[in-house]
Amino acid sequence: MKLTLPGRVAGLSLVAALALTACGSDNTTGDSTPSAADSAASSGPALSGTLNGEGSSAQKNAIGEVISGYQSANPGVTVNYNATGSGAGIKQFLAGQVDFAGTDSALKSEEKDGVVETEAAKTRCGGNDAWNLPLVAGPIAITYNLPGVDKLVLTPSVASQMFLGKITKWNDPKIAALNSGATLPATDIKVFYRADESGTTENFTKYLNGSAPADWAAEPAKVWPGTTGEGRPQTDGVAQGVKSTEGGLSYMEWSAAKDNQLGVAQVDNGAGAVALTGETAGKAVAAAAAAGEGNDLKLKLDYAVKDAGTYPIVLVTYEVVCSKGLAADKTALVKSFLTYFASPDTQKGLEEIGYAPLPEDVRGKVVTAINAIS
Amino acid sequence: MSTVTSSTEPGAMPNVAAGLSGLSRGRSVTNSVMTVVVYAAFLLALVPLAWILWTVLSRGYTLLLDQNWWLTSQRGITPRRVGGGAYHAILGTLVQAAVCALIAVPIAVFTAIYLVEYGRGKLARAVSFMVDILTGIPSIVAALFIYAVWVTTFGLQRVGFAVSLALVMLMIPVVVRSTEEMLKLVPNELREASYALGVPKWKTIARIVIPTALSGIITGVLLGLARVMGETAPLLILGPYSASINTSLVDGPMAALPTMIKDNFGQALQPATDRLWASALTLILLVLLLNGAGRVVARFSAVR
Repeated sequence: MKLTLPGRVAGLSLVAALALTACGSDNTTGDSTPSAADSAASSGPALSGTLNGEGSSAQKNAIGEVISGYQSANPGVTVNYNATGSGAGIKQFLAGQVDFAGTDSALKSEEKDGVVETEAAKTRCGGNDAWNLPLVAGPIAITYNLPGVDKLVLTPSVASQMFLGKITKWNDPKIAALNSGATLPATDIKVFYRADESGTTENFTKYLNGSAPADWAAEPAKVWPGTTGEGRPQTDGVAQGVKSTEGGLSYMEWSAAKDNQLGVAQVDNGAGAVALTGETAGKAVAAAAAAGEGNDLKLKLDYAVKDAGTYPIVLVTYEVVCSKGLAADKTALVKSFLTYFASPDTQKGLEEIGYAPLPEDVRGKVVTAINAIS
Repeated sequence: MSTVTSSTEPGAMPNVAAGLSGLSRGRSVTNSVMTVVVYAAFLLALVPLAWILWTVLSRGYTLLLDQNWWLTSQRGITPRRVGGGAYHAILGTLVQAAVCALIAVPIAVFTAIYLVEYGRGKLARAVSFMVDILTGIPSIVAALFIYAVWVTTFGLQRVGFAVSLALVMLMIPVVVRSTEEMLKLVPNELREASYALGVPKWKTIARIVIPTALSGIITGVLLGLARVMGETAPLLILGPYSASINTSLVDGPMAALPTMIKDNFGQALQPATDRLWASALTLILLVLLLNGAGRVVARFSAVR
């Protein structure tokens, strides 16, 4: 009699498990077939399979939208992207755990901690080069939380001093001099920085170092060099910090600033204050110089750019992919997904959620590179 | 009162009567103070529990009322879009826990049988000691160990099965300990009666000891299962999130409720925040259900 109990339990759970697996659905939108426009976007035979990516949290929102659109055009394909940070993404890519990495700074060719990223990537790709393809341009916003202050202008020099703790009050004369009309409170400046390794930090420190070297002497790095303020993990962490703290100051991708409805400072690089828009940030990407060779499309941004109407702090996030060496089915998926990513319509759609579309000539080069993946 | 009186000398019985009739002032003050402290501590412990339950329930229940929550995944749903469900994550959590139990329960139960019925001397003490150490291992260490073996040494992908393996390490000590206690509760007379009838030891264990302790063992398994289902560290290290349904434990990322919570955490947009609370509530409900099942099994099949 008693021996039947485990049997009953096992039977019950088996039935429950079967019932459960039978009724779930990935169809969240309600339509069973992709619309005509969607199917036109995907050329060639229907693809199927899973593509895994990991990395930069700066492009999380952008790639989320892109994946959503791509998957409804290609119902057979699943693309996963885990936003664990650029450093983690590259590590997982090098370890062969993911098919592509998202990163805010291109693979390094110098040795760091005993690893040369470009060499390790070559090993991972079976002896072939890995390419950095710029696909998302995300402006970095200097965000603040000061109720009643709608417009704040900062120069790189003043911003450096604020982030280093040399200016500690919001009503410091140096800030007031840049913002003649505004009434600045006497609250402390509470700096929030990224506690994890981050490409956003690297690009932001590159900007401070490149445009105000006298005030910001530290070398650009993925780890925040300052000691003032409080470290928070990932973009969401610093955004929450500023949102919940009056007098908070931080740097983050524009999309996160938009989502959290934070104040965004205008930046004066020497040619007048520039507000952050898709257009002003796009100009900085267009002005960038190519730093890679051939289809490796590393970009070198000019952070000290003084052109009127150009927002200088821009972060370009790359997808790192193998130029060759992946399994054939994965290669087809990578090419198809990235082609969709780089298409003009997709790029245009990204502006709505706080990213700058790639300038046309950069986009053209990216498409050429994607076609060369084999 | 008995503890108070027992400390007095046996010959001093009249003192008890005197204490009952006229309690000294100091004692009665101490008594009421301690009563207040005990109740206050109890209420204080209850505050966060009730608070958590209320917060999660009030913020998460709306999405759970929609049948799509239980039937669809998050495929194609971005933080700024409403809709979708938690099917993929519920499935992942249940499948990973089930596979974990499938591996952990036999190992744990047999270990407990060894410790109670066979184990004598050094080896048994060593095993018991190891189980104690396993109990104290933080889940992140178990996860890192599996990562080191599964990914670094064998070069395999991070998949659902690796998560199950890490959970196994966390579940085994819990089930060993509870099963051990249950087996110890089985009266020795039952075993001796069985031996007296000439039944061999293995048959005594299989037919007498285990059935007697079965309800307790099942309860222990269910409680252990409920504990590992909420584990997050192994998922963070070994189980990347996927918004789509993945039924395979050995191929591709598999979602689970804790990673779904994390994926939605910190998003500023309302649809994502709603999903965060709803998935937290779903996880609480699942664990509650298992705990409840454990109690029901214990009640309806008490040792007879």
